[in-house]
Amino acid sequence: MPDLRIEATINGKKISRQAKPHQRLLDFLRDDLNLTGNKEGCGAGECGTCSVFVNGVLMKSCLLPVAKAQGATIESVEALALTGELSLLQKAFHKMGASQCGYCIPGMVMAATAALRANPFAGREEIKERLGGNICRCTGYQKIFDAVELARDVQNGRLPATALAEIDAEQGEFIGKNVRRIDAPSKVSGRLKYAGDIIMPGMLHVQVLRSPHAHARIVKIDTSAAEAMDGVEGVITSADVPGEDGFGVFVNDQPIMARGKVRYVGEAVAAVAAQDLLTAKRALAAIKVDYEPLPAVFDPDEAMQPGAPVLHDYAPDNVTKHIPIRVGDVELGFAQSDLVVEETYSTQAIEHAYLEPEAGLAYVDHDDVVTIVSPSQNITHHRAMLARIIVKPISKVRFIMSPVGGGFGGKEDMIYQGMLALLAMKTRAPVRLVFTREESIISTAKRHPSRTTLRMGLMRDGRITASHMTMICDGGAYGLSTEGVMRKAAILGAGPYAIPNVRVDTYGIYTNNTPSGAFRSFGALQTQFATESHLDICAERLGLDPFEIRRINAMRDGAITHTKQKLGSVSLLRTLDAVEQASGWEQGAPVSRGNKRRDLDRADIRPPVALGARFAAVEKQEAAE
Amino acid sequence: MLICDEYMTPASLAEAFAAMDAHRGRHRVVAGCTDTFPWAREGRAGDVEISALIDVSRIPELNELRVDDKRVRLGAATPIQRFLDDATLARALPCMPRCAVWFADDQIRAQATIGGNIVNASPAADGTPCLIAHEAEVELVSARGKRTMPLTDFVTGPNTTALQEGELLTAVECDALPAYGGSFEKVGHRRSLVISLVCLAALIKLDKQGRAIEDVRLAIAGIGPRPLRLPEVEKFLKGSSLGAAKLEQAADMPVSLVASRTRQDYRRDVVRGFMLRGLINAARRAGADNAALTPELEAAYA
Repeated sequence: MPDLRIEATINGKKISRQAKPHQRLLDFLRDDLNLTGNKEGCGAGECGTCSVFVNGVLMKSCLLPVAKAQGATIESVEALALTGELSLLQKAFHKMGASQCGYCIPGMVMAATAALRANPFAGREEIKERLGGNICRCTGYQKIFDAVELARDVQNGRLPATALAEIDAEQGEFIGKNVRRIDAPSKVSGRLKYAGDIIMPGMLHVQVLRSPHAHARIVKIDTSAAEAMDGVEGVITSADVPGEDGFGVFVNDQPIMARGKVRYVGEAVAAVAAQDLLTAKRALAAIKVDYEPLPAVFDPDEAMQPGAPVLHDYAPDNVTKHIPIRVGDVELGFAQSDLVVEETYSTQAIEHAYLEPEAGLAYVDHDDVVTIVSPSQNITHHRAMLARIIVKPISKVRFIMSPVGGGFGGKEDMIYQGMLALLAMKTRAPVRLVFTREESIISTAKRHPSRTTLRMGLMRDGRITASHMTMICDGGAYGLSTEGVMRKAAILGAGPYAIPNVRVDTYGIYTNNTPSGAFRSFGALQTQFATESHLDICAERLGLDPFEIRRINAMRDGAITHTKQKLGSVSLLRTLDAVEQASGWEQGAPVSRGNKRRDLDRADIRPPVALGARFAAVEKQEAAE
Repeated sequence: MLICDEYMTPASLAEAFAAMDAHRGRHRVVAGCTDTFPWAREGRAGDVEISALIDVSRIPELNELRVDDKRVRLGAATPIQRFLDDATLARALPCMPRCAVWFADDQIRAQATIGGNIVNASPAADGTPCLIAHEAEVELVSARGKRTMPLTDFVTGPNTTALQEGELLTAVECDALPAYGGSFEKVGHRRSLVISLVCLAALIKLDKQGRAIEDVRLAIAGIGPRPLRLPEVEKFLKGSSLGAAKLEQAADMPVSLVASRTRQDYRRDVVRGFMLRGLINAARRAGADNAALTPELEAAYA
């Protein structure tokens, strides 16, 4: 394998170094030069966290073979603040709060820098267009665009430099004020180290062998060939787990690696620690697993039928959790009503798609403490579970939460930390695992897909007399947060409405799909999607304004919820008023208005997406000619 | 993950052919590389081990760019961003800047090449319908010699071309059409970085009054295994005067060509809408008379 010699100017310094011919510029910068400011979010040119300047032109370093850096001048995000002082744009990002998890921000700052270099007077639409190759998942684009506009205006002298300064906090006021984030400078500069940015001397690289089957018995795993390979330091399977092998949030039904059988495509079966990533990958290919495929079930309704394939012995009916709520008598409520409306609503699985794929580092420290560094959203719970699984006193297990590059609930599950702990214990070396985007999507929890049948009884004046809701959720192969999600879905499902007769049943069901778990709103989204959609339909049937039907039924101060919680104050009516006003709502029952719509072309309503802001000036000129 | 034993950057065609010969059957020719690493990932080719990557982007012949009154010669390694940045090129190829602005994003356009877009032969390649509308011919060179063929014949199906072992696509030659108005219509799942579900290139030349269609060129992609020129629609429109009834009839004509594997009904709707929008936008940019292109028609489809 003839190595390449790369001679280039990187962040102002001339370098001359060997590189592997298959390396990407991103690998060279991050792994060989330890310039970890730019991140890898997708490895496929979709997200832009890796954007760097090559001879002054912004490019995605995950798509560039390192050989293309030969003779080039490269600037990574570190180049923007070489002296330690943030650039104008970085200061503007700081000022506008344009960094939340921070993982996309180095790339965003680079794209913003490129945009203002290309056109120092770019308007908001052109800024949007020029930042189009970069994805953010939690900061939100508006703050980012605000920051670029602020920097543009300061740069052009339209605003004074003091526009970048913090105002409120300087006067010692914090509550109810806009305060700049204290961690923003570390994020806008790329200095903050996420788990995948951390290296330790002697660190090994971990790769995970995953199941190609949705449901299969593991007949035999032969790791001998992998273990014999040069550079392989350790291979683990479920046989290496010393203690009670199960983790979860409510029920500990998931082994660290598949034990006896696999239950979904992408489930971990074995893991390898090797001296480099390529060796670890080749070792995975050398592990032989004999599977005996089992009948699988992919639909929760089918999984509930007698005779359906059973995933877990403890749950022969495949029910992970059923949450029932009973208030009054719904049948009586229907009998009293003027109108009964029944519909079925479904929602799909949703991937969190945080910009930071899962990553973690583990080592056994000088005091024999098994230490795991990862962006886990639930470290104290993970610590207790892992201690039981690896049979250590809890004082010998330590979890360190690295900066979370977006989580949204998706990093609550101890899906890989156990493998890292076992490999660190087995190899007595620091080990690191960094997921690819594909691995993150295939193996980690999703939002529960749901099917909700809702039957509602109403009086002609809009009062709801009864609400009967049944939701079946696909919980996938393991329990994870399903129980809590079903509970929250049931508690909040009937909505913030005073309804005398309520019956709610939510079911989380095991299937051979990717496990479902925690995701922002935690179950409330699915049932409330049904209830709120249903209210619009009922409003149409009753000839009522959709806001009005909600006001008529709204819980008010002092209300008792369907689960008997007394609410001191209820802000629903104020919220409805605010939304009605902000949305430019046209009062009345829902109708299809077609081209009679009056809310288009208003200054405060955003126009449809279009491209070509940079042509606008040219066309204006053409029109004038 | 893409693993290669060697990454070669030949400085001449002769060096490239020698490298291709030395690694026959075990190499991959690359230029911009924007689809190379994504290709070697899970869900597509997976981990790929290859003997050599041969990067042809620094070969002088592939970087040539010539524009005269009649023809444009584009070296295969011309980055897509050039169609936006180079005013001479933009004038000669009126729908290319519109295509380029919808092509991936600013960063990938700086790297991706027109040759790579053609050779990849995606059924939804954005650059190909524009070039087809410009009567493009590809130049294929090997150690044995040179041949040319129309781009419409070069792309033979999804990801397949007439390129033979040992051959390189070195350049594209196409008509310079500075007197035409051009448009490019595209729809996909995201504004940037998205593969077209349907895309359409339209070029129109009007008479001096801006009322009659002297010439029209139309090509469409994303509706079947390969991009298509629409000669029958062109014939129907050529010489006729610009008017709502004529354009609407023309818009209906290619609807029946939709033969993609998925979402056919949706694509039929899109094709009709794009035909109208593409023709109207191109006609407007060709200097259409306001009386011919009524505000009502523009408002409905533009």
